[in-house]
Amino acid sequence: MALFDKFAAAAGTRDLLGSLPVNPTDVVIERVLSASEAIVAGRPTIMAGTNNYLGLTFEPECIDAGQRALAEAGTGTTGSRMANGSYRAHLELEAELAAFYGMPYAMVFSTGYSANLGSLVALLGPGDAVLLDSEAHASLFDGCRMSGADIFRFKHNDPDGLAKRMRRLGERARDALIVVEGLYSIRGDCAPLQEFAAVKAECGGYLFVDEAHSLGVYGERGRGLVESEGVIDQVDFVVGTFSKSLGSIGGFCVSPHDVLTLFRYASRPYIFTASPCPSVIATTRVALRHIATRPALREQVWRNAHQLYGALAELGLSLGPDVSPVIGVAFREREVALRCWQGLLDAGVYTNLILPPAAPEGGSLIRVSVTAAHSSAQIEAIASAFRDVVARHASGCAA
Amino acid sequence: MAKPDHLSIVAALIELLRDTLEQPRDIAADTALIADLGLESIQVIEYLCEVEDRFDLAIDEDKLADVRTVGDLAEVVRQLLKD
Repeated sequence: MALFDKFAAAAGTRDLLGSLPVNPTDVVIERVLSASEAIVAGRPTIMAGTNNYLGLTFEPECIDAGQRALAEAGTGTTGSRMANGSYRAHLELEAELAAFYGMPYAMVFSTGYSANLGSLVALLGPGDAVLLDSEAHASLFDGCRMSGADIFRFKHNDPDGLAKRMRRLGERARDALIVVEGLYSIRGDCAPLQEFAAVKAECGGYLFVDEAHSLGVYGERGRGLVESEGVIDQVDFVVGTFSKSLGSIGGFCVSPHDVLTLFRYASRPYIFTASPCPSVIATTRVALRHIATRPALREQVWRNAHQLYGALAELGLSLGPDVSPVIGVAFREREVALRCWQGLLDAGVYTNLILPPAAPEGGSLIRVSVTAAHSSAQIEAIASAFRDVVARHASGCAA
Repeated sequence: MAKPDHLSIVAALIELLRDTLEQPRDIAADTALIADLGLESIQVIEYLCEVEDRFDLAIDEDKLADVRTVGDLAEVVRQLLKD
């Protein structure tokens, strides 16, 4: 096979998407108006397909801090922390993350993807066993695969399936790593973390939870599903991203184990990546403080989630099992999902279209997400747009 | 207890595949899981979980690198049962 022949499948996907009236991967956000609205295709559009759950991207205090850091420390660090040094602010953010979780150790990465990749390749190696949820994010799978560990998949959110596989591993289970997420970003369903922690208690091993989409949204102080499920002290590694509720870019890992301090010497995705730039660290630190101290943001995003989930459920749509800020609307027919997604965009509502193989169970899905920045009127407008497109394109076809 | 032979493993794998697929299909040992049946990656994972439970096995994904057909998978299962 010639070098470029492998792109045939990608070209097929591109051509298929290019044949649609609007290619879902080519939507251009021309101008951002606020945390909940932008100009798309020349018209004001409600953004219902972001991960900006708390609406902090336009928080004035975050913007001030970012602008100050730009002026004082420049546009970038231009190198990795190992080779070119850590800025004081990197270390201060790590201390603040550790304090936020009540764990002694924290480490900052340049992206959420590299936080997962870098943590897993540091933790795992050939001969280790890792048990991975079947719907875990690509960054988790890539980290497991890159590590050379033996990968055992279990059915999504299935503690019994995990327990069976742990028992089959025998003695190896005591050192196995269990990798799950908190809130899953496509259907908006939550991991049964208490049950996973119980499996760990029974069989041994270590529990690694990716809270990318649950940080800031779940828990009294916004520490994610590990807090709301009361399992923080049973989890060995919590990984998260700055690019969702925290409104910037980057990632982190916190842990009660001092081995995390050795990741700096063992994690190639950390060692060989430029460190986060000063303005990003500055906005993230302020946003973290807002998450910890402003429960009203969480209350608002949950009010919006309940309002929209209730309205979409009334339409008879097939929704994920849990009310959450991420609402996955499943469609059996790809064409119906496409027409509805296009109809929503035409009506001024931007959502995410998820097609096979990214959508679970071989179907297609429209992913809708809410933010604390959405007004009740905007939530009603999203629901109203759904009502219209379902009546037009999907009556009797949804689910 | 005697270990199942290749043919009986193939039969069990085909039975499990029929439960996985929404439409009835002709399946034989040389049927390719992805090329012929069009299984999506998530369906493959879920199918393998069923196979593991049926044979009480833990299948490391590395062992599946060369698996293309039902027969290939049966051979992996047979080897793991032998070990």
